[in-house]
Amino acid sequence: MNAIEVHNLSHHYNGRNVYQDLTFTVPQGSICGLLGKNGQGKTTLVNILMGFLKPTGGRCLVLGENSHSLSPDVRKRIGLLHEGHQAYEFMTIAQTERFFRGFYPDWKPDIFYSLVKKMGLSHRHRVGNMSCGQRSQVVLGVIMAQNPDLLILDDYSMGLDAGYRRLFLDVLHDFAAMDGKTIFVTSHIVQDLEQLVDTIFFLDQGKITRTGLKEFLNSFKKYVFHSNKGALPLEDEVIKGIERRRDLFTVYSYHDCDTVTERLSRQGVEVRDLRRADMTLEDGFIGLMGKY
Amino acid sequence: MISSILLKEWLKVKYFFIGVLALNIGVCLKIYFDIRGLILAEHPEMIWYEAIHLHNVFFKEIMFFPLVTGLILAAAQLVPEISRRRMRISLHLPLHRDWLLLLSVFTGLFFFLTVVGISAVLIYFTMRTWFPYEVSMTVLTTMGPWILAGILGYLGFTAVLLEPFKTRKVFLAIIFSVIVSAMYMGIGYGWLSPAMPYLVWLVPLFLLCVFESGHRFQQRGA
Repeated sequence: MNAIEVHNLSHHYNGRNVYQDLTFTVPQGSICGLLGKNGQGKTTLVNILMGFLKPTGGRCLVLGENSHSLSPDVRKRIGLLHEGHQAYEFMTIAQTERFFRGFYPDWKPDIFYSLVKKMGLSHRHRVGNMSCGQRSQVVLGVIMAQNPDLLILDDYSMGLDAGYRRLFLDVLHDFAAMDGKTIFVTSHIVQDLEQLVDTIFFLDQGKITRTGLKEFLNSFKKYVFHSNKGALPLEDEVIKGIERRRDLFTVYSYHDCDTVTERLSRQGVEVRDLRRADMTLEDGFIGLMGKY
Repeated sequence: MISSILLKEWLKVKYFFIGVLALNIGVCLKIYFDIRGLILAEHPEMIWYEAIHLHNVFFKEIMFFPLVTGLILAAAQLVPEISRRRMRISLHLPLHRDWLLLLSVFTGLFFFLTVVGISAVLIYFTMRTWFPYEVSMTVLTTMGPWILAGILGYLGFTAVLLEPFKTRKVFLAIIFSVIVSAMYMGIGYGWLSPAMPYLVWLVPLFLLCVFESGHRFQQRGA
């Protein structure tokens, strides 16, 4: 069964096409990361999935229901982290717990307080007086205490230092280990997702590509070589991404070393010491999507 | 669920509620001391003549305070929700959007009616101190249009704040302002009483505007 199904989704904003015929599914029990450069519509997609934006065309099903008319029963099963760790800043920690408790019959106060306790703050501390990291813990506590079936996290790493990001990942790992739980996450910190997701969606210029994390890291390769004369490498069907720092070039490709060398030579590029280098997900992301 | 909504609304408005309550009580006290001073300084027959024949409303200083109260309470409830689009938190709760809005609005109206109710009672007892029962009783019918203006102002401002389209926002603001200003077109003891049974139907109409704006607010990216 799919936790999320998107069929032929189209959306345009101010005359600009954000998506055209976007189709993908997120199977139940999977941990999916949505990656894309700024402005490619990741938050817009989350907004559509949560019914905060009506798409121009197509259909989105979340836990079997149309995303722009989700019933309260389905919303109860979705833990949603809004971009910027949105929280009611006029509430204290205890008031936040009291407020959300009333809506969720399976509410687990011990989970909420165990996450909040790590900050060592009084329960009477106001959310508005917290740092971004502290607020993120309160929001995470709220989401986890709901015991949702589907987690949708919109850029959970925004404004968080390494410690809070790691804390988030620890909690998400524990959540993902439970049976049938699905996570759909976007983040600007791509290397964090490498430790969490099993499936990646690349969103680029209105199109979406799905791949397994391991499959991507095995098939997409990073090569480095030196060159200080001859032509500059160009992107084509073999060379997917190019980076340059002085005479050190990095190229990305789905092809093997020989094919890449041959293609570069054919482009008139002087290639010295070409070798395959270790590639992180962030490298792969830059190689595939580009820097800008 | 309901207690959670009530908690949230109270936390947002509590300081504003206390503020507008103090403001309204302050005006009521001023009116009390003004009338007292008038009675002591002038012949009671003159005061009687002014009230009954000239329709001089001695408590007219409070006329705009219900409207101001409504506007302040609406802003206190909505501004924390629409700034940085925090209302998405509530819109994601397992509760129907219209039911959520209705509970919020009813809570706001409860606070509003508490404030203006206390004002009306204070004005009534002020009038009752120096005027006959019949004159004192007209406090409610005289204040009726002002209280209705406050309710409509509260609902209208709520709808305007929720409305995501700028042109529609301006249009709604103009329409609501014109309707609310109609409540202030005349003055006198119970001057609008014959029309009040019809004018109260504006309340559900304004409430529908809140739901419609809320619907558009959610569908436009909240």
